[in-house]
Formats: sequence, structure tokens, C-alpha cells
Amino acid sequence: MGIKIDALACTACMACELACSYHRDDAFALLSSCIVPYRALEKKNYFGVILKEEDSLVAARPEGLEINRIGEEQDPEKEADASAKPMLLREACDLCEDMDQGPLCILFCPVDAISLSDED
Amino acid sequence: MEYLSSDKIAIIDLTSSKIIEEDLPEELVEENVGGVGITTALYKRFEGEDPIVLGAGLLTGTLVPGAALSVMTAKSPVSGKISHIPVTLHAGMELKYSGFDYIVIKGSSSKPVFLWIHDGIVDIEDAGDLWGKDTWAATDHIRDLMGDNLIQVLGIGKAGEKGSDLAQVCINYWASGDRAGLGALFGRKNLKLIAIRGMGLLEIADPEEFVETCAEFLDDVREGEWAGKSGITRTSALLGGEDISAWLDPLVHRHMACFNTPLATNSFVFLDEDPGLLKESASEEPGFLVNDMGALLALKGLGLSASDACSVMKACAKQGLNGSAVAEICGKNGMTEAKKIIDALPDLKGSASPDGAGLFSSWAASLKWESKEWERRQAVAYIFGIHPLFALVCPELTEEKLLELSSLATDLEFTSEGLDDVIAQVTG
Repeated sequence: MGIKIDALACTACMACELACSYHRDDAFALLSSCIVPYRALEKKNYFGVILKEEDSLVAARPEGLEINRIGEEQDPEKEADASAKPMLLREACDLCEDMDQGPLCILFCPVDAISLSDED
Repeated sequence: MEYLSSDKIAIIDLTSSKIIEEDLPEELVEENVGGVGITTALYKRFEGEDPIVLGAGLLTGTLVPGAALSVMTAKSPVSGKISHIPVTLHAGMELKYSGFDYIVIKGSSSKPVFLWIHDGIVDIEDAGDLWGKDTWAATDHIRDLMGDNLIQVLGIGKAGEKGSDLAQVCINYWASGDRAGLGALFGRKNLKLIAIRGMGLLEIADPEEFVETCAEFLDDVREGEWAGKSGITRTSALLGGEDISAWLDPLVHRHMACFNTPLATNSFVFLDEDPGLLKESASEEPGFLVNDMGALLALKGLGLSASDACSVMKACAKQGLNGSAVAEICGKNGMTEAKKIIDALPDLKGSASPDGAGLFSSWAASLKWESKEWERRQAVAYIFGIHPLFALVCPELTEEKLLELSSLATDLEFTSEGLDDVIAQVTG
């Protein structure tokens, strides 16, 4: 079971990030979320979603999914995403296991860009 | 103020370069709720010093659907009346988390400056290197300087520096709802821009109940009239305006929402790139985020193609000009060619029609609402921090629901009678 992200449906509203922060802190604080829309390339309108999982960092990009295994050496030719580094320090997604409603990012995504997948 | 607050007001005197910090008194929130209720109270307190008051709504930055809005209150250099300008996209939210609830900017600086607001700190910085730059270059400069591309910038271009009545305060690279000429007020104060970054924390009095109520509400309304719709043209149609989807859609790359706003009211068009491109564009500036439907419709009304209209809007945003006013003046002068309009922008003069009653920006215009009801709805949106367009397309977000959520979040008792009083104070 895991989180599945449709990056093209995402509108970068950040509801998922905020909901995740509540799960972590019982308050709203955007620095603790394990799911984050990356929106640093504003002038290019290039945005998607990054998810920190236990063993991997998932970048749901408009052109497709990119999964980077944490701890494995990355392609040195490839420029690192500036959003990725702080994400590695955050707690991994636990699918909001203590929440009756299930993962809050799914609950609060207004455009159904996030769903549960049977795949790990 | 313990909940939904950083408990801090900054009072910045640009004349003396002194900054005073005050606590946010709970009584001020009980009496004025938040957002425009409090910016109006603070404006009146400092009225003799020509203040600009910036503040977030009570519920801004929370899980309440549409909680994107901050507000800028000041006397319009154009109308001479107090005006409230919506601060949308992600800038409204960043202010809420910046460590300050309200910012009062009074006086004027003897030299160009910018404000850097972050982590509960306000700095007045020299803007000598920024003065003369367009809004795009200035935003890039600030983000490069601070090493953070998520910094939100409320800034002016050359139009504001020159004190043009057509000047507007832009949000990052894009247009804003400033139709009151506050860009000229920034210029008069020698204030190039306000850079904001929010990495704070908001406590909630009853977090479990608050979040549950937000989720239930989103679930209730997600099948509303706006559901499944996206982008500026469909937002325009929802509000009773012309549906210009067929005209604009061929250029649209993707739609983008303001913070936690279920309806994406902005559309990014590609002007120098294939709109179907999924990968990151190799071009640094492939297009423009269209977030001002009034300007868009007015430029279309001049007979421009969608591409030309968006190019004009991009040029307006770079120079910090109100695109809606520009379109009206060009129409009066018979200017209907994009190149001629763009070439004329640096020296464009003239006056546009008054912005409705002038209190709230007609940027969030709606043909479906009677003017009195529209004004009340805008007041409510600006008090609680709800996106002004979402507030119009989602009437299910009632005053009662917002009061209930506010009480849950703050442990303060807010009533309909109290809200009526705040609205009366704001609308006069």
C-alpha cells in the first residue's frame, strides 16, 4: 500500500502539504510535511509533488514518476533538485496510520491528484 | 493572541528606519476578528502617517478551503479613499507564517529600500541595486540574494517608481488585484518591494475538531458548481462572465491554484513554447500566469488575439502596471495592436474608470452578485482570509461556518452580531 500521485492533476495548492504537517505536529507548520508540491520553477510553471517514503524519495513530475532510493548513489550527471535535500531530513510517510480517515493528503486534495495504491 | 497567530505586529517607520514590535492583543481580535477588520483598525490608528497595513485573515494558511488571502490596506493615490487589495497566490499564506500577523508601514524613506520579513524578523534593506529593475528582475534578484526561490515578493516596477496612477503592486512576476494604484504609493515611499517567507507554526485551540470540520466541509462542497472546473476562463464563466475558453485554451499549459484553494483560478499560458510540453522548459521565460480576468476580458475586447493579450499582460506585469486600466485607456485612444500598446506602456498616461465603490478590488468581480451583497461577501472573505473569487463561487462557505471554524481554532467566541459590527466598521 502506498501513495499514488497524478502530477498533471495537481494544481500546487499545497493542501496536501498542510494536511501532512497537521498529522506531524497537531498544528500547521509546513516544514515537517513528507509530501510537498515543488514549485521553485515558478517562471517556467514547472511543478509536481515530492514524497518522502521510508526507502525512497518519489518525485511525481509532469512527465512521469522518478524514484530515487535513499542512500544509493545518484547519477552525477544529473542536477539535484533543490527541493530534495531538506526532504531527506523529514520523517517518512506512514500513510497517517493513526488517523481514522486515512491519509490526510488524500482527504484534503481538492482535485483528487492523490490516491492510495495497492503497490508499495 | 495564542492561536492562529504569531502574536506580533510590526510597526515600521520608513522615515526614521525604526521598527517597533507589539503583541497582537486578544481584544483586538475579539473586536475585529482579523484580516481587513484589523488592517482597518490599524490604518485608522496610524491614519496621519499615510500607512500601508498588511495582514493575514484569521483563517489564512489553514485547512479551511480557500484560506489563501492576506490584505493590503492603504489610501489609494488614485481615488484618495481607503482601499483593500487582495494578496493571493502563495503570498497571503507566506505572510501568515512569517512570524507577524500585521505589518504597518508608515512614513517614507529618503532612499530606495525593501523590507525582508521572515522568521519573526523585519529588516529594512537598501534597494539601490533594485531601483529601476522591472518586477521580474527584482523578484529574481531577491530570490538569488536570499538563496530561496519560494520567497514571495510584493513589488513595483518602473511605473510605481515614477508614481503613475496606473501602477500596481505585483505579486512575484504576476499581476495582482491592485486597482487602487498602491504601486504609486510604494514608489512615493521609496519602497521597492516587500519580500516575505513564512516558515512558522500556527497552533489551533481544538485541532482535532477543527480539521475534522474542514474535511467535512470540503467533502460537502466538492460537488459544487465549480467542481471539476479549472482555470481563469472557467472561473470567469462561473461568475457570470463571458466564457472565453475556446479563445485562451490553445495557449494554456497548466492551471494553478492559490494556496489551499480548491478552484484553480489562474492559468499559465505558454507564449514561446509548446503548451503541451510536459518537461521543464529550456526557456527561462516561456510564458505568463494569467490571474486577472478583468484585464484579460478587456484586452480581448480590443480585438487582440489571446497570444497578444497575454503578451500585453506580461509586459504590464513587468512594468508593474494595472492591465485592466491599461486596456481601458488603450481602448479610449484607439490602440488595438499589441506591439503599439507594449511600446507605449512606459509613457502611458490617462485615467481609468473608478474601481467600483473603491473599497474592495473589482479584480474579484461577479455579475451574479448584487453590489451590496458582493461588498459584504468580499468583506467576509477579507476578514477571514478566504480567496475572494472562491468566496463568490462557493456560497456554501457561509458566515456561520466561518464563525464556527474561527471559534474552534481560537477558543474565542465569535458571533454573527459581532461580525455585523466588524463589517459595518470596514464598509462604513
